[in-house]
Amino acid sequence: MFKKPVRKLLGSALIAATMFGAASANAEVSFEGQTITVVIPFKEGGGTSRVFRFFQPYLSKYLPGNPVVQLQNIPGGGTIKGANFFHNNQNPDGTFLFATSSSVNIQQATGNDLAEFDLSEYRPVMSLATTTHWFTRSDLASGPNDISGLQARELSLFPLETASSADLFHLWIYDKLGINARPIPGLSTSAGFQSFLRGELQMASQGTSGFLSKVVPEIDAGNAVQFMTLGVLQADGSVAPPSYSSDAITFPEMYEKVNGMPLEGEDLEAFKVIAANWGPASKGLFLPTGTPQDVVDAWREAIRKMTEDPQFIADAPGNIGPFPVMIGEPVEEIFANAVNLSDASKSQFNAALKKYGMTFRIP
Amino acid sequence: MFIAALFELFQPTHFPYLLFGVLLGLTLGILPGLGGTSALAILLPFIYTFEPGVALAMMIGALAPTTTSDTFPAVLLGIPGTAGSQATVLDGHPMAKRGEAARALSAAFLASLVGGVFGALILSISIVFARPIIMAFGFGEQFLLILLALLMVGALTGANFLKGIASCFVGLVIGTIGLAEITGDPRFTFGTLYLRDGFPLIVMGLGLFAVPEIVGLMQSRSTIAGGGKLKIGWLDGLRDVTKNWFLVLRCSSLGVMVGALPGLGGTVVDWIAYSHAKQTVKNPEKLGTGDIRGVIAPESANNAKEGGALIPTILFGIPGSGNKVLLLGGLILVGIEPGIEMVTTQLDVTYLIIWSLAVANVIGAGLCIFLARPMAQLTRVPFYILAPVLIALIFFATFNASRDWIDFFSLMVFGAIGVVFKAFGWSRPALLIGFFLASKIELLSYQANAAYGWSFLTRTGSLLLVALALATIVFLIRQKGSEVAESSRSDQKGQLIFTGVLALFPAAMILAIIELDPRANVFPIALSGALLIMLFMIAGLQAMRLNPTTSKTVSRFTPLRIMSQNIFENEGTLSGHLRNYMILPVFFGLVMLLGFPIAAVALINGFVLMHDRRKYIVSGAISAAVLIILWTLSGALTLQYPAGVIANVISLPWWLGGAY
Repeated sequence: MFKKPVRKLLGSALIAATMFGAASANAEVSFEGQTITVVIPFKEGGGTSRVFRFFQPYLSKYLPGNPVVQLQNIPGGGTIKGANFFHNNQNPDGTFLFATSSSVNIQQATGNDLAEFDLSEYRPVMSLATTTHWFTRSDLASGPNDISGLQARELSLFPLETASSADLFHLWIYDKLGINARPIPGLSTSAGFQSFLRGELQMASQGTSGFLSKVVPEIDAGNAVQFMTLGVLQADGSVAPPSYSSDAITFPEMYEKVNGMPLEGEDLEAFKVIAANWGPASKGLFLPTGTPQDVVDAWREAIRKMTEDPQFIADAPGNIGPFPVMIGEPVEEIFANAVNLSDASKSQFNAALKKYGMTFRIP
Repeated sequence: MFIAALFELFQPTHFPYLLFGVLLGLTLGILPGLGGTSALAILLPFIYTFEPGVALAMMIGALAPTTTSDTFPAVLLGIPGTAGSQATVLDGHPMAKRGEAARALSAAFLASLVGGVFGALILSISIVFARPIIMAFGFGEQFLLILLALLMVGALTGANFLKGIASCFVGLVIGTIGLAEITGDPRFTFGTLYLRDGFPLIVMGLGLFAVPEIVGLMQSRSTIAGGGKLKIGWLDGLRDVTKNWFLVLRCSSLGVMVGALPGLGGTVVDWIAYSHAKQTVKNPEKLGTGDIRGVIAPESANNAKEGGALIPTILFGIPGSGNKVLLLGGLILVGIEPGIEMVTTQLDVTYLIIWSLAVANVIGAGLCIFLARPMAQLTRVPFYILAPVLIALIFFATFNASRDWIDFFSLMVFGAIGVVFKAFGWSRPALLIGFFLASKIELLSYQANAAYGWSFLTRTGSLLLVALALATIVFLIRQKGSEVAESSRSDQKGQLIFTGVLALFPAAMILAIIELDPRANVFPIALSGALLIMLFMIAGLQAMRLNPTTSKTVSRFTPLRIMSQNIFENEGTLSGHLRNYMILPVFFGLVMLLGFPIAAVALINGFVLMHDRRKYIVSGAISAAVLIILWTLSGALTLQYPAGVIANVISLPWWLGGAY
C-alpha cells in the first residue's frame, strides 16, 4: 500500500547505518541499501526528467545491490543552479550523478559567468541522442516538407523560450530557411505548442519525445504538417532522418533546396554544433570527478544491461525514441564537440541573435 | 472516463495519500492562519519526491478540507482560520457563546460537504465544454483575464482599497525581479544567481502567511484556543441544513461562479454568500446575532468555490485564489501542465482531480464531525510549545524547497514584510497574487501585441472580458462608496513612515534597471512609477488624517473621504509583533552556529524552559520527536541539513549537519 515511501524510509535507515563503511572501500562494488541521487537541473515534467524517470526502475534493477534510485530536480538559473549544485557537492562513491541536456551544454558553450561546472571534468556514463522536428499548420503547406507557404507569408511566428538558452539555435535555423520569421518570447515548448494549436503561431518545433507524443496525433488528425527534421549525424558524416520519420526532409536537404547550394563551410560548422547539442549530446549522465574506475565500470555495465532488457527494448521507442544509448569513453568526445564552439560558429550565432533583435550575445 | 477516474481514486496507490492529505489539511486548518495555503506551502517542497499521482492526491487532499476544518476556530474562538471563514464568525461565534457550538459546527460541516460536492459536480460538467473555450483563449484573452483578476484582487482585499491595489503593485514589482521575460537581461539581481529566477513562491508564501500567524500566537501569550467547549447535540445542526436546502444550493452555485473568476475567489466568496443570505432570507435582522443561516450560507459557498477555482487553474494556468497559486506550482512540479491537454489527452487526470476534490470534501467534513473533540485539543497547546515547533517546521519547509540556505534570508525578509503588512492593514494575498501574475502580464502583453497587434481587443472573448472588467469597476466603486465602520487605529505615525520606507523599493528598482533595453525595463518601470504614485497618495492621505485641521477637509470631500477610509487599518501593535519576530533571526543564528537539527532542539528546549522550567519532560520529548522526524526525512529525501560552525570543530554524522 505504502510501497514506495516505506521503501525509501527503510533505505534511509540503512544508509544511516552503513554511512561510514562507504562502498568505495569494498573490492566488489555494491550499492545495497543505498540511495542513488540523480541531479536533474530541470523541473519535473521536462524531457530530461521523463527520460530518467523511464530509466529509474531499470537502473535500480541492474545496479549491483539494487539501490533505491531517486531523481532530485533542482531547476533554476537556466540549469546553472542544478549544475553548480552537482559540481559543489560531488561525492565520488557512485551514489551521486548528474543528468544533462543540451541546455546544460549551452551554458558552458556560451561561457556563462555564473556557471561553476565543467562537463569535461566529469566521468561520463552514457549519452542518449534525440533529434528535433519542425512543423507548420496544414493549411499553410501543400503537404509534408513544404515551406513555400511559409516563405510566401509576410510574417510567420514561432515560439522561443529565451535567447540565452539552446533556443538560440532556432534563430539560426529559421534564418537559413528564407522565411520571414519572428520569435514570440517566453513560450516554453509546451506553451508554444498550445499557442500553435490555437492558430496564433505558424510554426513550432518539438524534440523526439514531444514529437512522438503530442505532434504525431495532430499530424494524423490533419491539423499539422512536418516540414523538416534536424536529422541524425551518421558515422560517415552524412545526415539521415530518424527511423520513425523516414520520409522527413533533413535540415541539410532543406538548406540546399532553399539556398540552391549544399550546406558547407561555416554554415556546416555551425550546423554541426547544433546537430551535436540536439543530437547525441542532448541527454547525458555523469559521475563526479575522481570516481574510482570500478564504480564507473559498474555504472556503465548497469546501463549496458538495461539496454539489453527485453522490456526496455520494447518500451524505449515510445518513451525516448529509437536511438541507441551510447556508453563510456566515446561520450567524452561527443560532449567536447557540443560545448567547444569555434569563433566562426560564435559569430554565426551572434549574427542570428542580432538579426532577431535579441540583446543576448555569446562572448 | 468519469467512472474510471472514480475507480482510480480508490486504488491503494491513491486513496491513502488522499487521506493523508485530508488529515494534514484538517490539522492545519484548525490552527488559525495555517490553512490551505500553509498546508500546501509545507507540502510543496516534498512533492517532487513522490510519484505524480501520489503527490496530486496529497495536494488535493490537503487543500479541500481546510475551508471545512477552519470552522472550528471560527465558531469556537471567533478567529477565522482562513480568509474563507471570516463571515462564519459573525453568527457562528455568538451561537457558541450561547452553548450551541455543536449545532453550529455540524450545520457548517454538512453545508461544507454539500457545497464541496456540488462544486465538484459543476466542475466535472463544465470541463466537458471547456475545449472550445480554451481554443478561443489566445494571448489577448489571457492577458485581459489576468488584468480582470488583478482588478478584483487588488480592490477587494483589505479594508482600504488604495492600500489593497498598492499591495498588489508591490507584488507585481517584486515579480519583475529576475531575468527579463523578453530579452533575458538580469533585473535587480545584483549579479547573483539566486535572484535570476526571482524569489521562490513557496518561501514567499511561508514568509507572508505562516510567519505573521506564529508571531501573532506568541504575541497573544496564550493558547490558540482560549478555552472553548464542545457540547453534544449535532443532530439539530444537520436538520438545519436540510431545512435550508435551497439556501445551500444558491450559495453553492454562487461559490462556484465567484470561485471560477481568477483572483477573486477565496477571500471574498464567504462575504458575497453572507450578503446574499442577508438580502434574500426572511427576518434578515436576525443574521449577526447567532442565526444558523448565517453559518450555512458562507460555509456552503466557501467549499463550492474550491471546485470553481480549479476551472481557471487547470484550464488556463491562472490561479483562482491564493492557495491555487501554490497548487499550480505543485501541479507543474509533478509534471501536470495546465492547458488544453487537461481536457484532451489528460482528461483522466482532470477527472481524478475533480473526484479527489469531491471525496476529500466528504471525508474531511465527516472526519470533522467525529474528530471534533480530540482535534480541538490541539488549539489548547500553550504558545511556548507550539511556536518553536512551528518555527522549526517552516525553516525546514523553506530549506527543503530548494536546498539553498539563502532561502532563509528570503523567509525572514518576507516574514518581516508579512508581519508589517498584517499589522498595518496591507493586503498579503494581493501581494502574493500580484507577484505570481507579474511575469504573465508582461509576457502576454508582448505576445498579444506581437501576434495580433491591437486587433486582439476586438475579438469576441476580449470584448466580453472588457465588459466584465468595466462592470467590476462599477461594482467596486459602488461597494467601496458605501460607508464602512472605521477600524481601530494606532501607531499612525509609524504607518506613515512605513509608507515612505515602502516607496524606497520601487525607486531603487527604477534606478537599478534604467539603463537596460526598453523591452526589459518599460514594464517594471511603469509598475514602479504607478506604485510610487499610489504610495505618495496614501502617504498624503495618512499625513492629512494625522493633522486635525486637514483631517476635517478630507472628511468634507467625498472622494477623499472614501479613499482615506480605513487608511490606518491595523491589527495589534507593530512593536510587539516585531519583538516576537526577532525569534526568527535568533533561530537563524543558532542554525549557523549549530546546524539545523541541533538548533531546532536548542530552540524548542530553550523556548519552553524559558517559560516554564518544570516542563523539561515535555520539551525533551518534543525535541526527541523532532530529531527522529528530521533524521527520517533526511534519509527519505537525501536531505543534508545546513551545517553549523561547530561542524568544523566536532565531527558530526551528516544528518546532523556534518560533512559527507
